[in-house]
Amino acid sequence: MTAVETTDAAVPVRTSSPAPRRAVAGGARRRRGSAFDRLLPYLLLAPAVIGILWLIGFPVVSVVVTSFRKLDLGELVRGEVKWVGLDNYTKVLSDPRFWEITVRTVVFTAVVVATSVVVGLVIALLMRQLSTPIRILLQVCMLLAWAMPIIASTTVYQWIFDQQYGILNKILVKLGFDYAGHSWFSTGTATLSVIGLLIVWQAIPFLAFSLYAGVIGVPADLYEAAGIDGATAWQTFRAVTWPELKPLLMMVTFLSLLWDFKVFTQIWVFKEGGPSGGSTTLPVLQYLEGISQSHFGVAAAVSVLMVVILTLLTVSYLRKLLQTQEGKL
Amino acid sequence: MKGWRGLAVGAAALAVTVAGCGTSPSGTTAAESSGPKTLTVWLMDGSAPTTLTDALNKEFQDSNKDVTVKYEVQKWGGIQEKLTTALTSDTPPDVIELGNTQTPKFASEGTLLDLTGDAANLNGSEWLGGLKDSLTWENKQFGLPFYASNRTVLYRTDLFEAAGITAAPTSNDEWLAAIEKLKTANASNPDFQALYLPGQSWYTLLSFIWDQGGDVAKKDGDKFVGSLDSAQAKAGVDFYKKLVDASGTKAPKDTDEAKPQQMEVFGTGNVAMMIGLPWELGGAVKANPDLEKKTSAFPIPSKTAGKAAPVFLGGSNLAIPAGSKNVDLAKSYLKLLSSKKYQDQLGAAGTVPGTSKDTASLASNPVGKALAASSANGKVTPATPKWAAVEAGQNPLKDMLTAYLTGAKSLDQATGDANTALTALLGG
Amino acid sequence: MNAKKVSANVVAVFIAAFFAFPTYWMVTTALKPKKDLLSSDFDLIPSSVTNSNFVTAWTKPGFLQSLGNSLLVSLSAVVAALVIGLLAALALSRMRFRGRKGFVMLMLVAQMAPFEALLIPMFLMMRDLGLYQQLSSLILIYFAVTLPFCAWTLRGFVNGIPIELEEAAMVDGCGRWGAFRRVTLPLLGPGLVATSVFAFITAWNEFLFAKVMVRAEDKETLPVWLSGFQSAFGTDWGGAMAASALFTVPVLVFFLIVQRKMVTGVTAGAVKG
Repeated sequence: MTAVETTDAAVPVRTSSPAPRRAVAGGARRRRGSAFDRLLPYLLLAPAVIGILWLIGFPVVSVVVTSFRKLDLGELVRGEVKWVGLDNYTKVLSDPRFWEITVRTVVFTAVVVATSVVVGLVIALLMRQLSTPIRILLQVCMLLAWAMPIIASTTVYQWIFDQQYGILNKILVKLGFDYAGHSWFSTGTATLSVIGLLIVWQAIPFLAFSLYAGVIGVPADLYEAAGIDGATAWQTFRAVTWPELKPLLMMVTFLSLLWDFKVFTQIWVFKEGGPSGGSTTLPVLQYLEGISQSHFGVAAAVSVLMVVILTLLTVSYLRKLLQTQEGKL
Repeated sequence: MKGWRGLAVGAAALAVTVAGCGTSPSGTTAAESSGPKTLTVWLMDGSAPTTLTDALNKEFQDSNKDVTVKYEVQKWGGIQEKLTTALTSDTPPDVIELGNTQTPKFASEGTLLDLTGDAANLNGSEWLGGLKDSLTWENKQFGLPFYASNRTVLYRTDLFEAAGITAAPTSNDEWLAAIEKLKTANASNPDFQALYLPGQSWYTLLSFIWDQGGDVAKKDGDKFVGSLDSAQAKAGVDFYKKLVDASGTKAPKDTDEAKPQQMEVFGTGNVAMMIGLPWELGGAVKANPDLEKKTSAFPIPSKTAGKAAPVFLGGSNLAIPAGSKNVDLAKSYLKLLSSKKYQDQLGAAGTVPGTSKDTASLASNPVGKALAASSANGKVTPATPKWAAVEAGQNPLKDMLTAYLTGAKSLDQATGDANTALTALLGG
Repeated sequence: MNAKKVSANVVAVFIAAFFAFPTYWMVTTALKPKKDLLSSDFDLIPSSVTNSNFVTAWTKPGFLQSLGNSLLVSLSAVVAALVIGLLAALALSRMRFRGRKGFVMLMLVAQMAPFEALLIPMFLMMRDLGLYQQLSSLILIYFAVTLPFCAWTLRGFVNGIPIELEEAAMVDGCGRWGAFRRVTLPLLGPGLVATSVFAFITAWNEFLFAKVMVRAEDKETLPVWLSGFQSAFGTDWGGAMAASALFTVPVLVFFLIVQRKMVTGVTAGAVKG
């Protein structure tokens, strides 16, 4: 076996594979460049690994270490190191609000991720059917949404949903519904719904673009074969698109989960985690303890807990990843 | 697995080094050397007018050869983070401006220089009382007052005339009566609001609570505890609701005066009164030049006829970071800034000077007059470092107002819950 | 088939409208005169337009400077993250070697760290490196933040390209890198587009670190400059919206350039079929 990897289980389906594998050529190559071949992966990985360990590893370790310290503003400025063991964790975990906040965060994340991925997938599949100018129009509109600075997007959404001057209420009133002066932010759930809409709106473009990249990578002959066999759209999707797309889909879902779990700015700018803490999620809690109250040690503990929870949420994906023979998913 | 093991060893080594080196103190305080020096001054956006700072910097540079003033105007957005990191760096600025509600936090953590000994040099006798409280920590002064501003009731003189109101209200009863008159006179205008009062204007609420004799928090030993559940505080909250109900304001009950910006609503021309800062009036007129000569101000009325309600003194202090390398220069800069000459300019610009009791320059226009009249009765929020967290985080006062105004909670419940939250924040 | 295409196109137009609406709102707000900002009238279409907000935004000091800074920082970070990430992705995807799983996990775990939590440690690190207040600190930070994502995502895309194609090219006489350049890289096009645009936007719109790490006004990036519209005297929303609209133009340009150069995916079907 050469150092070059074989692809996943889809291989047998490709009956029209152009080149038969020739062991001779592979063997010859191995004998010639073996030392370099063995080192190559590490060389390719080196810059990335160094970058990550240094620029992310250090700060992350620092955060973990900080979570065991009392680090308020004074200690930070004076460079004092005061160890308090698990006190920060106890403080956070024994706060009754913590569990409420965690559940809220998980539910919010799940809803946002599910919505963005499903809609993103639908749009990606749709894009394949479009004529080019329309597709580019759609891509540009999505790109503009994606690229809008957060200060602009949060403000525009607040204006649209404004109680008195918002265009949404005005449209609803024009359509005959009694929504004059209706407040969209009266409860935490309502507030999170609006914020969720904003996040979904800005998250779908990336998902649509990535999934589209995957969709057009599906070989046309597979679709032809399905067409010949008389499959319906849904059957084609299940038999052809889904298996091809699944790894990519799992991956972008995983990424979405990470990002949407950690969303902070939008939630803060809207209602600062209100009303009455009703839209407070874990990232908001981390901010409140950290920058806001300058309890950096406690904030670090919250960060660590967030990562732990994230790991728990994605553990099935992570385990599958490690279990597959070539670690490929 | 080899990969994991290597990672673990590296991580342990990292932890040791990070714990030590990553938090080294902000530089050694070297002796001030001679030669050309730069004095870094950070003032906040909108504080001092450019005419003042230009003249000040020029005069300072003229009288101090070899010194250049590096003057930077800072924006308020993200300033907490910026100050935190700047003060821990090796080259912090030499003069900074801090909001008065932020000052106790920075003072108590030893990040500012103790200026008690220099107070006399900096016009100590003329310091504005309310601001002085905010920069005192453990009986030492960690800065000097810069300027203050407070809220007054900004109103439309033409609408008052049309409604038959001859004099500005000087008591709560007169105020409510004026609201009724305005409503009657403008009943035909569906967009009219006698008073625009959003639900979470907690600075305004402070005036009402103080006017009733209460406070948001009181000192209990060496900590502060909330006192929102006192009868006086409840009376203040109740009066807020009276105003909201009486005026029928369409303002949202779950935001403060910034969302939407109250001055823009006032600028639509359909609002007779708003409780705000002087610059908000300027902004309204800018948005709608028709309002130019039709506005004025009166102090927030008290429940007692003839008096003005105490007001929250929003303002700034000036301080020298503890790690500054140019302490003497910074002090002489501050001495210049606190002199009457420049304080008068602050007054002329429409703010209450921090180190001068002479408010004559301020009283040249009606808004300034109202400002000066109320500032004499100015107070600040509890001078505890924990207060900064209330403003930078989730403010229980705001939640309390919204809950009570929307009817979600009763008065007792709303104040009780807010009090518990406030005590937790101030104690923690 | 034709009816299907037409209905697909119609649906797409509606979806495009939904996505474009807030952008539309931003632009019309930028075009409205100040006093029309808060109006009780039904103002879906502005009743009057003015270019004064755009003039304010364009002439506000620091616009071009911060635009330049943002371009420098974002492009540098993106190029670095893409190149290094691609190399790593190739190794992780195509090659088998000891410790591969460990490296895969590293890329994964590196993305779990909450970004805001790293503010203080990263600040201290940059301070100790002497890069505090330099734009290079931002380049390093944005590079660090987008690198694991790039490596991880590109790995996923490379996985999706069958190895046989490369091998076929090699059989036909190309070296390994030739095969990569001629076969894999073009097919990677759409994936590279999505990844690079993501990295660019992340760096382009980032505010917190840009605000904290760089103090001098002439080193501000666009988001920090944009926040300047929120002054102590209220926010100039018309100006802020106009500035935001101008802000998005370079991103659009970046996308169009990247899109045109890299999307040869249309041929993917032909190559694979």
